[in-house]
Amino acid sequence: MNLQVLSDTTEAGLATPYDTIWATAAVPTKPPQGIERVMLAEDKLYVVLAVVLIIWFGVIFFMFRTDRKLDRLERALQERIPEANADLRP
Amino acid sequence: MAETGQILNLRRYRQLRNAVVVWLTLVVLGAFLLRIPRIHILEHTARNLYFHVPMWFTLMAAALVSAYHSLRYLQSGDPIRDLRAREAARVGIFFGLLGLATGIVWARFTWYLGTSLWWNFDPKQSFVVIQLLIYGAYFVLRSAVEDPEKRGRVAAVYNLFAVVTMPFLLYVLPRQMESLHPGAEGSPAFSDITHPIMRLVFYPAVIGFIGLFWVLYTQRVRLALLEQRVEMLQATMLEAKS
Repeated sequence: MNLQVLSDTTEAGLATPYDTIWATAAVPTKPPQGIERVMLAEDKLYVVLAVVLIIWFGVIFFMFRTDRKLDRLERALQERIPEANADLRP
Repeated sequence: MAETGQILNLRRYRQLRNAVVVWLTLVVLGAFLLRIPRIHILEHTARNLYFHVPMWFTLMAAALVSAYHSLRYLQSGDPIRDLRAREAARVGIFFGLLGLATGIVWARFTWYLGTSLWWNFDPKQSFVVIQLLIYGAYFVLRSAVEDPEKRGRVAAVYNLFAVVTMPFLLYVLPRQMESLHPGAEGSPAFSDITHPIMRLVFYPAVIGFIGLFWVLYTQRVRLALLEQRVEMLQATMLEAKS
Protein backbone atom coordinates (compact mmCIF):
# COMPACT_ATOMS: atom_id res chain seq x y z
CA MET A 1 0.00 0.00 0.00
CA ASN A 2 1.42 3.33 -1.01
CA LEU A 3 1.29 5.73 1.93
CA GLN A 4 1.93 9.34 1.17
CA VAL A 5 4.62 10.95 3.29
CA LEU A 6 3.64 14.40 4.47
CA SER A 7 6.64 16.64 4.02
CA ASP A 8 7.30 19.46 6.40
CA THR A 9 6.62 22.85 4.92
CA THR A 10 7.89 25.10 7.69
CA GLU A 11 11.26 26.72 7.26
CA ALA A 12 12.61 25.63 10.60
CA GLY A 13 11.87 22.00 9.92
CA LEU A 14 10.93 19.55 12.66
CA ALA A 15 13.64 20.45 15.15
CA THR A 16 11.10 20.06 17.95
CA PRO A 17 8.11 17.74 17.80
CA TYR A 18 5.71 20.63 18.26
CA ASP A 19 5.79 24.14 16.88
CA THR A 20 4.82 27.15 18.90
CA ILE A 21 2.65 28.85 16.29
CA TRP A 22 -0.96 27.78 16.05
CA ALA A 23 -1.83 28.55 12.46
CA THR A 24 -3.29 26.55 9.66
CA ALA A 25 -0.34 25.22 7.70
CA ALA A 26 -0.61 23.99 4.15
CA VAL A 27 0.40 20.42 4.98
CA PRO A 28 -1.59 18.23 2.55
CA THR A 29 -0.44 18.60 -1.02
CA LYS A 30 -3.85 18.14 -2.63
CA PRO A 31 -7.22 19.46 -1.44
CA PRO A 32 -9.01 16.95 0.79
CA GLN A 33 -11.81 14.94 -0.79
CA GLY A 34 -15.05 13.48 0.55
CA ILE A 35 -15.11 12.73 4.27
CA GLU A 36 -11.70 14.30 4.76
CA ARG A 37 -13.08 17.67 3.71
CA VAL A 38 -15.37 17.56 6.74
CA MET A 39 -12.99 15.97 9.22
CA LEU A 40 -9.95 18.09 8.43
CA ALA A 41 -11.80 21.40 8.85
CA GLU A 42 -11.03 23.51 11.94
CA ASP A 43 -7.56 21.98 12.29
CA LYS A 44 -9.04 18.46 12.55
CA LEU A 45 -11.15 19.28 15.59
CA TYR A 46 -14.01 17.12 14.27
CA VAL A 47 -11.83 14.02 14.59
CA VAL A 48 -11.80 14.65 18.34
CA LEU A 49 -15.57 15.10 18.26
CA ALA A 50 -15.95 11.75 16.45
CA VAL A 51 -13.76 10.01 19.04
CA VAL A 52 -15.71 11.49 21.96
CA LEU A 53 -19.00 10.47 20.30
CA ILE A 54 -17.76 6.89 19.81
CA ILE A 55 -17.03 6.63 23.53
CA TRP A 56 -20.31 8.31 24.45
CA PHE A 57 -22.41 5.96 22.29
CA GLY A 58 -20.35 3.00 23.52
CA VAL A 59 -21.21 3.81 27.13
CA ILE A 60 -24.87 4.26 26.18
CA PHE A 61 -24.86 0.91 24.37
CA PHE A 62 -23.40 -0.76 27.45
CA MET A 63 -25.99 0.89 29.67
CA PHE A 64 -28.81 -0.39 27.45
CA ARG A 65 -27.46 -3.93 27.61
CA THR A 66 -27.38 -3.81 31.39
CA ASP A 67 -30.91 -2.44 31.28
CA ARG A 68 -32.11 -5.33 29.14
CA LYS A 69 -30.64 -7.82 31.58
CA LEU A 70 -32.43 -6.05 34.43
CA ASP A 71 -35.71 -6.25 32.51
CA ARG A 72 -35.26 -9.98 32.08
CA LEU A 73 -34.60 -10.46 35.78
CA GLU A 74 -37.64 -8.40 36.72
CA ARG A 75 -39.82 -10.46 34.40
CA ALA A 76 -38.40 -13.72 35.76
CA LEU A 77 -39.19 -12.61 39.30
CA GLN A 78 -42.69 -11.48 38.42
CA GLU A 79 -43.79 -14.34 36.20
CA ARG A 80 -42.14 -17.40 37.58
CA ILE A 81 -42.01 -16.60 41.24
CA PRO A 82 -45.19 -14.66 41.98
CA GLU A 83 -45.04 -15.67 45.65
CA ALA A 84 -41.60 -14.16 46.08
CA ASN A 85 -42.83 -10.61 45.60
CA ALA A 86 -46.50 -10.95 46.43
CA ASP A 87 -46.08 -8.56 49.36
CA LEU A 88 -44.64 -5.91 47.02
CA ARG A 89 -47.92 -5.54 45.14
CA PRO A 90 -50.40 -2.90 46.32
CA MET B 1 -26.81 -16.50 48.74
CA ALA B 2 -25.89 -13.33 50.59
CA GLU B 3 -27.58 -10.00 50.04
CA THR B 4 -25.83 -7.61 47.65
CA GLY B 5 -25.22 -5.16 50.51
CA GLN B 6 -23.16 -7.75 52.36
CA ILE B 7 -20.78 -8.19 49.42
CA LEU B 8 -20.64 -4.63 48.09
CA ASN B 9 -20.53 -1.34 49.92
CA LEU B 10 -23.40 0.34 48.09
CA ARG B 11 -22.96 3.66 49.84
CA ARG B 12 -19.36 3.88 48.71
CA TYR B 13 -20.45 2.83 45.22
CA ARG B 14 -22.92 5.70 44.96
CA GLN B 15 -20.41 8.25 46.24
CA LEU B 16 -17.78 7.08 43.78
CA ARG B 17 -20.26 6.99 40.91
CA ASN B 18 -21.22 10.63 41.51
CA ALA B 19 -17.59 11.61 41.85
CA VAL B 20 -16.73 9.87 38.56
CA VAL B 21 -19.54 11.70 36.72
CA VAL B 22 -18.34 15.12 37.95
CA TRP B 23 -14.67 14.22 37.39
CA LEU B 24 -15.20 13.05 33.79
CA THR B 25 -17.28 16.13 32.99
CA LEU B 26 -14.34 18.28 34.09
CA VAL B 27 -11.98 16.12 32.04
CA VAL B 28 -14.06 16.62 28.88
CA LEU B 29 -14.20 20.38 29.52
CA GLY B 30 -10.45 20.50 30.07
CA ALA B 31 -9.82 18.37 27.01
CA PHE B 32 -11.55 20.85 24.74
CA LEU B 33 -10.85 24.16 26.47
CA LEU B 34 -7.18 23.87 27.43
CA ARG B 35 -4.91 25.43 24.84
CA ILE B 36 -2.25 23.05 23.57
CA PRO B 37 0.85 23.64 21.47
CA ARG B 38 0.47 22.97 17.78
CA ILE B 39 1.73 19.55 16.73
CA HIS B 40 2.54 18.86 13.12
CA ILE B 41 0.00 16.63 11.28
CA LEU B 42 -1.83 15.93 14.56
CA GLU B 43 -3.28 19.45 14.90
CA HIS B 44 -6.30 19.31 17.25
CA THR B 45 -6.43 15.50 17.13
CA ALA B 46 -3.64 15.59 19.72
CA ARG B 47 -6.56 16.02 22.11
CA ASN B 48 -7.52 12.42 21.38
CA LEU B 49 -4.70 11.57 23.77
CA TYR B 50 -7.20 12.35 26.56
CA PHE B 51 -9.74 9.83 25.24
CA HIS B 52 -8.03 7.13 23.19
CA VAL B 53 -5.09 6.35 25.47
CA PRO B 54 -7.08 6.09 28.75
CA MET B 55 -9.17 3.36 27.05
CA TRP B 56 -6.08 1.14 26.97
CA PHE B 57 -5.07 2.03 30.51
CA THR B 58 -8.59 1.06 31.52
CA LEU B 59 -8.40 -2.24 29.62
CA MET B 60 -5.18 -3.05 31.44
CA ALA B 61 -6.63 -2.08 34.82
CA ALA B 62 -9.70 -4.24 34.10
CA ALA B 63 -7.51 -7.18 33.05
CA LEU B 64 -5.52 -6.87 36.28
CA VAL B 65 -8.71 -6.76 38.38
CA SER B 66 -10.06 -9.76 36.48
CA ALA B 67 -6.82 -11.73 36.88
CA TYR B 68 -6.67 -10.90 40.59
CA HIS B 69 -10.12 -12.33 41.15
CA SER B 70 -9.32 -15.38 39.03
CA LEU B 71 -6.26 -16.00 41.22
CA ARG B 72 -8.34 -15.64 44.37
CA TYR B 73 -10.92 -17.99 42.89
CA LEU B 74 -8.28 -20.67 42.44
CA GLN B 75 -7.22 -20.15 46.06
CA SER B 76 -10.64 -20.04 47.68
CA GLY B 77 -13.18 -21.48 45.23
CA ASP B 78 -15.56 -18.68 46.22
CA PRO B 79 -18.12 -18.27 43.37
CA ILE B 80 -18.18 -14.47 43.93
CA ARG B 81 -14.54 -14.35 42.75
CA ASP B 82 -15.44 -16.13 39.53
CA LEU B 83 -18.32 -13.76 38.96
CA ARG B 84 -16.13 -10.71 39.58
CA ALA B 85 -13.42 -11.99 37.24
CA ARG B 86 -16.03 -12.53 34.51
CA GLU B 87 -17.60 -9.08 34.81
CA ALA B 88 -14.25 -7.27 35.01
CA ALA B 89 -13.16 -9.04 31.80
CA ARG B 90 -16.46 -8.14 30.12
CA VAL B 91 -16.22 -4.42 30.91
CA GLY B 92 -12.51 -4.53 30.04
CA ILE B 93 -13.22 -5.87 26.53
CA PHE B 94 -15.78 -3.11 26.10
CA PHE B 95 -13.11 -0.49 26.81
CA GLY B 96 -10.70 -2.31 24.51
CA LEU B 97 -13.21 -2.16 21.66
CA LEU B 98 -13.72 1.55 22.30
CA GLY B 99 -9.94 2.04 22.24
CA LEU B 100 -9.71 0.20 18.94
CA ALA B 101 -12.60 2.13 17.35
CA THR B 102 -11.25 5.51 18.48
CA GLY B 103 -7.79 4.49 17.26
CA ILE B 104 -9.12 3.59 13.81
CA VAL B 105 -10.78 6.99 13.43
CA TRP B 106 -7.70 8.81 14.70
CA ALA B 107 -5.41 6.87 12.34
CA ARG B 108 -7.68 7.50 9.36
CA PHE B 109 -7.18 11.27 9.55
CA THR B 110 -3.50 11.33 10.52
CA TRP B 111 -1.59 8.24 9.34
CA TYR B 112 -3.77 7.45 6.34
CA LEU B 113 -4.48 11.00 5.24
CA GLY B 114 -5.32 11.19 1.56
CA THR B 115 -5.33 7.40 1.09
CA SER B 116 -8.95 6.64 2.10
CA LEU B 117 -7.55 3.73 4.15
CA TRP B 118 -9.21 2.80 7.43
CA TRP B 119 -7.19 -0.29 8.23
CA ASN B 120 -3.73 -1.26 7.05
CA PHE B 121 -2.69 -4.02 9.51
CA ASP B 122 -0.43 -1.76 11.50
CA PRO B 123 1.33 -4.07 14.04
CA LYS B 124 0.00 -2.14 17.02
CA GLN B 125 -3.59 -2.47 15.82
CA SER B 126 -3.24 -6.08 14.71
CA PHE B 127 -1.79 -7.22 18.05
CA VAL B 128 -4.51 -5.37 19.90
CA VAL B 129 -7.13 -7.26 17.89
CA ILE B 130 -5.42 -10.55 18.80
CA GLN B 131 -5.46 -9.56 22.48
CA LEU B 132 -9.18 -8.78 22.31
CA LEU B 133 -9.81 -12.12 20.58
CA ILE B 134 -7.92 -13.87 23.41
CA TYR B 135 -10.31 -12.23 25.86
CA GLY B 136 -13.25 -13.12 23.62
CA ALA B 137 -12.17 -16.77 23.81
CA TYR B 138 -12.44 -16.49 27.60
CA PHE B 139 -16.20 -16.13 27.22
CA VAL B 140 -16.40 -18.86 24.58
CA LEU B 141 -14.58 -21.15 27.01
CA ARG B 142 -16.96 -20.25 29.81
CA SER B 143 -20.02 -21.05 27.75
CA ALA B 144 -18.55 -24.42 26.76
CA VAL B 145 -18.26 -25.80 30.32
CA GLU B 146 -21.51 -26.76 32.02
CA ASP B 147 -20.43 -27.48 35.61
CA PRO B 148 -20.00 -24.17 37.49
CA GLU B 149 -17.04 -25.30 39.61
CA LYS B 150 -15.17 -26.77 36.69
CA ARG B 151 -16.03 -23.75 34.56
CA GLY B 152 -14.72 -21.41 37.24
CA ARG B 153 -11.41 -23.26 37.51
CA VAL B 154 -10.82 -23.65 33.76
CA ALA B 155 -11.81 -20.01 33.10
CA ALA B 156 -9.58 -18.75 35.93
CA VAL B 157 -6.54 -20.60 34.59
CA TYR B 158 -7.22 -19.34 31.07
CA ASN B 159 -7.71 -15.80 32.36
CA LEU B 160 -4.28 -15.87 34.00
CA PHE B 161 -2.81 -16.91 30.65
CA ALA B 162 -4.68 -14.07 28.91
CA VAL B 163 -3.30 -11.40 31.25
CA VAL B 164 0.25 -12.66 30.77
CA THR B 165 0.02 -12.20 26.97
CA MET B 166 -1.13 -8.59 27.41
CA PRO B 167 2.21 -6.81 28.02
CA PHE B 168 3.76 -8.64 25.07
CA LEU B 169 0.96 -8.04 22.59
CA LEU B 170 0.27 -4.46 23.68
CA TYR B 171 3.83 -3.29 24.34
CA VAL B 172 6.81 -5.49 23.64
CA LEU B 173 6.00 -6.83 20.15
CA PRO B 174 4.56 -3.69 18.49
CA ARG B 175 7.51 -1.64 19.77
CA GLN B 176 9.98 -3.86 17.97
CA MET B 177 8.26 -3.52 14.63
CA GLU B 178 7.84 -0.71 12.20
CA SER B 179 4.57 0.92 13.17
CA LEU B 180 3.08 4.33 12.72
CA HIS B 181 1.90 4.24 16.31
CA PRO B 182 3.89 6.43 18.73
CA GLY B 183 6.35 4.45 20.81
CA ALA B 184 7.14 2.00 18.03
CA GLU B 185 10.35 1.53 16.09
CA GLY B 186 11.10 4.83 14.40
CA SER B 187 8.23 6.73 16.05
CA PRO B 188 8.57 9.06 19.02
CA ALA B 189 7.18 7.82 22.33
CA PHE B 190 4.68 9.47 24.63
CA SER B 191 7.27 11.43 26.61
CA ASP B 192 8.81 12.89 23.44
CA ILE B 193 5.69 14.32 21.84
CA THR B 194 3.50 15.17 24.80
CA HIS B 195 3.80 18.71 26.04
CA PRO B 196 3.75 18.95 29.85
CA ILE B 197 0.52 20.95 29.74
CA MET B 198 -1.32 18.01 28.19
CA ARG B 199 -0.49 15.86 31.21
CA LEU B 200 -2.69 18.22 33.22
CA VAL B 201 -5.72 16.67 31.50
CA PHE B 202 -4.28 13.30 30.48
CA TYR B 203 -3.61 11.84 33.94
CA PRO B 204 -7.01 12.92 35.34
CA ALA B 205 -8.58 11.38 32.20
CA VAL B 206 -6.87 8.05 32.92
CA ILE B 207 -8.12 8.14 36.52
CA GLY B 208 -11.61 9.19 35.36
CA PHE B 209 -12.02 6.39 32.83
CA ILE B 210 -10.71 3.78 35.25
CA GLY B 211 -13.33 5.18 37.65
CA LEU B 212 -15.96 4.76 34.94
CA PHE B 213 -14.81 1.15 34.55
CA TRP B 214 -15.22 0.67 38.27
CA VAL B 215 -18.78 2.04 38.18
CA LEU B 216 -19.86 -0.12 35.21
CA TYR B 217 -18.11 -3.15 36.69
CA THR B 218 -19.84 -2.72 40.05
CA GLN B 219 -23.20 -2.42 38.27
CA ARG B 220 -22.55 -5.67 36.45
CA VAL B 221 -21.47 -7.43 39.65
CA ARG B 222 -24.70 -6.30 41.33
CA LEU B 223 -26.66 -7.56 38.35
CA ALA B 224 -24.88 -10.93 38.37
CA LEU B 225 -25.46 -11.33 42.12
CA LEU B 226 -29.16 -10.64 41.60
CA GLU B 227 -29.21 -13.15 38.75
CA GLN B 228 -27.76 -15.80 41.03
CA ARG B 229 -30.35 -15.14 43.70
CA VAL B 230 -33.19 -15.42 41.18
CA GLU B 231 -31.78 -18.72 39.94
CA MET B 232 -31.49 -20.04 43.48
CA LEU B 233 -35.04 -18.93 44.25
CA GLN B 234 -36.29 -20.71 41.17
CA ALA B 235 -34.40 -23.85 42.13
CA THR B 236 -35.87 -23.92 45.64
CA MET B 237 -39.36 -23.27 44.26
CA LEU B 238 -38.99 -26.19 41.88
CA GLU B 239 -37.79 -28.39 44.72
CA ALA B 240 -40.75 -27.40 46.88
CA LYS B 241 -43.16 -28.26 44.08
CA SER B 242 -41.79 -31.74 43.39
